[in-house]
Amino acid sequence: VADALTDLGKWEGHDVRLPDVLAALDRLRCAGQVTATRTSVVSLVVVAPDAEAGQRACDTMNTLGARHPGRTIVLVLDGAEQGHLDAIVTLHAAPLEGIATWSEEVVLTVRGGARRHLDSLVEPLTLADLPVVVWYFSTGPRPGDPLVETADIVLVDTKEMGDVAVFPEVLELARRRPLIDLSWVRLTPWRVLLAGLFDGAAYRKFVTGVHAAEVHGKPGPRHLLAGWLASRLDLPRRALHLADARHAALRLSAEAGAERAVFVAERRGEERLVRASAHVENGPSHEELLPLPDTSLAWSLAHALSDLEGDPIYEQALAEALDLVA
Amino acid sequence: VADHDNPLFEGLDDERRAPPCVLVVFGASGDLTSRKLMPAFAELAENRQLPSAFAVVGVARTEMSDEDFRARMREAVGEGNPAWENVVERFRYVAGEYGEPETFDRLKEVLDEIDRERGTGGNRVYYLATVPTVFSIVATALGEHGLARPATEDSFVRIVIEKPFGHDLESAVELDRQLHAVFDETQIYRIDHYLGKETVQNVLALRFANSIFEPIWNRRYVDHVQITVAESLGVGHRGGFYEQAGALRDIVQNHVLQVLALTLMEPPASIDAQGIRDEKVKALRAVDVLTPEEVASDVVRGQYDDGWVEGEQVAAYRHEEGVARDSRTETHVAMRLRVDNWRWAGVPFYLRTGKRLPKRITEVAMAFHGVPHLPFQAGQAKGLDPNALVLRIQPDEGITLRFGAKVPGQAFRVRTVSMDFSYGAAFLEETPDAYERLLLDAMIGDPTLFIRTDEVQEAWRIVDPLLKAWGEEEAPLSHYPAGTWGPKEADRLLEREGRKWRTP
Repeated sequence: VADALTDLGKWEGHDVRLPDVLAALDRLRCAGQVTATRTSVVSLVVVAPDAEAGQRACDTMNTLGARHPGRTIVLVLDGAEQGHLDAIVTLHAAPLEGIATWSEEVVLTVRGGARRHLDSLVEPLTLADLPVVVWYFSTGPRPGDPLVETADIVLVDTKEMGDVAVFPEVLELARRRPLIDLSWVRLTPWRVLLAGLFDGAAYRKFVTGVHAAEVHGKPGPRHLLAGWLASRLDLPRRALHLADARHAALRLSAEAGAERAVFVAERRGEERLVRASAHVENGPSHEELLPLPDTSLAWSLAHALSDLEGDPIYEQALAEALDLVA
Repeated sequence: VADHDNPLFEGLDDERRAPPCVLVVFGASGDLTSRKLMPAFAELAENRQLPSAFAVVGVARTEMSDEDFRARMREAVGEGNPAWENVVERFRYVAGEYGEPETFDRLKEVLDEIDRERGTGGNRVYYLATVPTVFSIVATALGEHGLARPATEDSFVRIVIEKPFGHDLESAVELDRQLHAVFDETQIYRIDHYLGKETVQNVLALRFANSIFEPIWNRRYVDHVQITVAESLGVGHRGGFYEQAGALRDIVQNHVLQVLALTLMEPPASIDAQGIRDEKVKALRAVDVLTPEEVASDVVRGQYDDGWVEGEQVAAYRHEEGVARDSRTETHVAMRLRVDNWRWAGVPFYLRTGKRLPKRITEVAMAFHGVPHLPFQAGQAKGLDPNALVLRIQPDEGITLRFGAKVPGQAFRVRTVSMDFSYGAAFLEETPDAYERLLLDAMIGDPTLFIRTDEVQEAWRIVDPLLKAWGEEEAPLSHYPAGTWGPKEADRLLEREGRKWRTP
């Protein structure tokens, strides 16, 4: 998390046209009193269902500070049919190792027919030659949303969208466009942890001999984890045991010849700790207590923005998860 | 690197994680272990890059129990995270003299015990955080106790040694002979922490991932190159060591020549250990060895007097702790080198390094030829400098491109401007500490950023004539006030050719 941002300038307009917004951006840049480096790596477009969600998205992006500079364009969808546009343009400076780095934030409140043509608002605002990430904050894109086509990568969060209920539409979207699911990103530390339990000759041989997997947790994440295990280890449905639980826990039972082993990764109660262990019957074992990984929204967004590629492993895990839900 | 035999690691290729192993630190009670290695381990633990089947065994002469060693390492890191606490719990300690067989018998017992209990599979990384005189003693003892070779086809044994790799070419060759009597070259990881710096590696990315720089990276466009490795600190408590080493051995033979090699090298066929190191060796081989006359004319050695650095008054080198009052050890070296190959023939390379300079900075500056004809009237291009591309390695890592631009206004005037790219500001990822990166590489088995035996020898080949010239007679030693960029003679080295040092 970077140091606090400083506002270098701000412009607000009601009932404006997009050229007014572009002109305001230019003026703010020229009038900046602070010498700042303008290094941009991304145009992030956020589609927010209301002003509160828009604010949360801005706060999250600002938390990253100078670490991921670029232009954030927040489209707040207002239900009013009267078609005017409100805009707030802010130029931020984020200090980083003694250098101030610019980032820009454009919040547009969109009403009327423009809500169905968000691409027309976004295209003039995106930065040339840089990836355009469209983040559907808490809802998915409506069917046929042309904004999806302007995105180099679509960002969703199945947890915010409604967990397992939205799996079919997200899978369809993932097959059509490169997509990152922040819920999947949050599972990365768990996947690394579990995969790492099989490191080393003494344990590796068990990874292809897993015959039972228990996955406890909240709906959505537990389905994705179970889907991941099923797709990677070719586990049949009957080998998977899913149960509702407040905290995640995974337990894999495996055999290699006559040897048996158990691999566990589980969050311990209310402590923000994960217990990870591998135990070979009559053989070596290890156990460690690790801090619960940071899976805040800012962390997931940061992780997603550094990758910017679709993930075929996710797609396969999601397809298996969908079978599990059915 | 993710384990590709493990299907659960598919799609997690970017997640670098060490394989199960035991890391044995010789010199475990020393400064390097506490100051550099343990904080790096703590960071690796926090980032979950250490495997569960992992342990550290400290070896040193100081009598300590396992628990004392753990307490000392906890203290070295300070407030740890639970992951680090977890790692420290697995630390073991073996006290003993490096020259006594009992020390290694005991070490063998402890290693076998850890293998049985934790499944570390006979994988070992020996880290020699000791004085260099002990390197060959430890290596020989490891060989004699059957600890230098992998126990199975699947396991590995590596040894990491810290610079200095010898004190001249002859001693470097002898050290290698002793190490190679026990270990294969592929098992030896010679660490120069400079190569672990993200921005040193970024030189490779800049040169070989972009099509716009490589075509101008040659004698046709480059007028000269300046490499600066400047430190604002003095010798601190290292006076005794520094008296023997001097700036030439301490910085030029390794850090400066490594940066030079990355700047000079041809594009490798692949960015891997062999590809990069082969090209670096070729580049170093192309550097002309200076004759005694050239050492006298093209190399300047200096020593700092008292002065002011960063607002504080500092003592002269000769008044530092552990330094002789009449010391003639150099704390500053400036030199002009030639590189005889197709790409660089005729381009002078100016290198300088020093202690107690105005600020800490490392950079490579490529100064380009001026335009063949300036089509401006007198005064219109006053103050316009030739183009320069500066690779800033530390601090404020990034790239600066210097070019001419029109000053806004009715008049037509051209002035030099700098376009800055700040590395830290463009990417989200935290830059790993150099030791963190290199320790993980050693455990993973990626030797790309470690120095191969032929690189070491080529570097000594360049430096040896200077050592000989300075050793054979009363070599001139210039003095400079602390807080300046070095002796006047260093400035003259460039001025006589119509150039000047950059002010970084």
